[in-house]
Amino acid sequence: MKIEHKIILSYISNIALILLIGIFSLNNMNIVLTKFRFVEIADDLNASFLEMRISEKNYFLYKDRTALDEIENKINITLESIGAVEKDITAAIGENNLSQLKEYLKSYAAAIEQIRSNTRKSVRLEAKLRAEGQKLREYFKNITQIERRSVNAIILKSKKVLFISFLVILLLSVFGGRFIAKKIVASMRDIEGLAVSISEGSFKKIEDIRTDDECASVIRAMNFMSDELKNREEEIIQSKKLASLGILTAGVAHELRNPLNNISMVAQNFLEMYDSLDREHRIGLMHKVEEETKRIEEIVKNLLDFAKPKVANLEEADINRTVRKVVNLMQNTLDISNIELNLSLDPSVPHVFIDGPQIQQVLVNLILNAVQAMSPGGKLSIKTYGGHEGGSVIIEVSDTGKGIPHEFLPYIFDPFFSTKGVEGTGLGMSISYGIIRNHKGSIRVESTINEGTTFTIELPAYKK
Amino acid sequence: MDGYRIMIIDDEKIVGDMAKMALEKEGYLVETFMNAEPALERLKAVKFDVVVTDFKMKGIDGMEVLKRVKSLYPGTKVIMITAFANLDTAIEALRGDVYDFFPKPVKIKELKASIQRALKKA
Repeated sequence: MKIEHKIILSYISNIALILLIGIFSLNNMNIVLTKFRFVEIADDLNASFLEMRISEKNYFLYKDRTALDEIENKINITLESIGAVEKDITAAIGENNLSQLKEYLKSYAAAIEQIRSNTRKSVRLEAKLRAEGQKLREYFKNITQIERRSVNAIILKSKKVLFISFLVILLLSVFGGRFIAKKIVASMRDIEGLAVSISEGSFKKIEDIRTDDECASVIRAMNFMSDELKNREEEIIQSKKLASLGILTAGVAHELRNPLNNISMVAQNFLEMYDSLDREHRIGLMHKVEEETKRIEEIVKNLLDFAKPKVANLEEADINRTVRKVVNLMQNTLDISNIELNLSLDPSVPHVFIDGPQIQQVLVNLILNAVQAMSPGGKLSIKTYGGHEGGSVIIEVSDTGKGIPHEFLPYIFDPFFSTKGVEGTGLGMSISYGIIRNHKGSIRVESTINEGTTFTIELPAYKK
Repeated sequence: MDGYRIMIIDDEKIVGDMAKMALEKEGYLVETFMNAEPALERLKAVKFDVVVTDFKMKGIDGMEVLKRVKSLYPGTKVIMITAFANLDTAIEALRGDVYDFFPKPVKIKELKASIQRALKKA
């Protein structure tokens, strides 16, 4: 179900519940209102009955026959007023009770009528009158009391129902909301994890999509992106490589100039002095040419090795040799920028299991960055150590450059993050990060403004 | 030309060897060094008429050599050679009282001619 639908559903169910409670409460109020109206009428009736009984008492005390007229009169008035509000009374106490009440009133009236028509004093009739009056009052008192109790009960019930309903609504909104939020958050977490892994260059995918809501479409889109990035990673690595190749070539061109000059000078002497040289000398000179040619070949080969696109091909390797190879390749770049190099390679570090050219590329990236961060006279240090007793082999590349602002440090390995403005592609560091991650290693950076930056690479030691 | 002392400083061994080979044939006394420290030590003991030095070297570089030579022997001519041939280095070199400046690859004939001119001027 879509998140949108879930939210709408939970709203609707809450509103429906509130409506139900409203209807229930309104209904209760109506009942209470009718009962109250009856209680009001009942008070009046009660007063009338009381007056009737007082007149009845007057009759018995003073044998005053006019008292009987008064009672009769009162009964009629009462019957009339009952007739006027019959509806309300019926609503409150029901048809049966009302007719019973009327019945009692009528038999009370009949008892009075009997006494009046009988001129003689009759003890039996008087007792009957008293009993009828009593019955009428008792009955009415009873009804009134029951009604009062039922009003109380209804109010109490309403209170309870309202309390429980509010509790239910509260729980529903809290737990229902939380349930929905939790489902959304779970999907969001998945997406977050995916984004982090992509930014770290590991191009994972979420294989089982747990929901069918909007998050699912986001996940599908990100899976697609991850696939595409994975496909293009090789391309990106290669293009970045070609970019750094441009910088390297400048250095390498200078490096080629030395052996070329050597060959040229040997050749000049060879041609100039050919006749005066003995055979041994001539051969010696040609050997020099041969050696210098090999030197050129080595430089060109290094450059081509670096440029060649390659699938990861892990081999056991001596990290110190890899570092030296890179340093050789970059010596002239360092010389041009007048950077002093300090190498401190621990010969006892264990071998690592690496793709040589890829690790070389990481080192080239780090060194180029270091060179760009420093002004002439700066110092570049490359250190290797560690790797013993199950620890990682550590390669440190430090410069004495301008440093990286603290707020940039967390983004240094993000793709397309660059502090170099238009010059940088912002991919060098993220590719380095990806390569080191693929080697199950780690890379981190520490930097102090105007003091320098240190990149630390950890690679697992090779176990045979 | 006999008897003039020429010093060659270059961290590429072949440069010294080839320059020595060509210059000794002309009758110069040639000594070669692969870096600046021992060369400057030697200069303290013996005066050289021309010093040919690489511009960019590890440790003491060509400009520093020039300064030290001139402070010891103001009359000694200094010729620079370098693989890093660009306008900036050339200008810097010539400003600093350098007699001549050769980018690699060095034409030995031109180097010889330059040394001859330098000695005549002295």
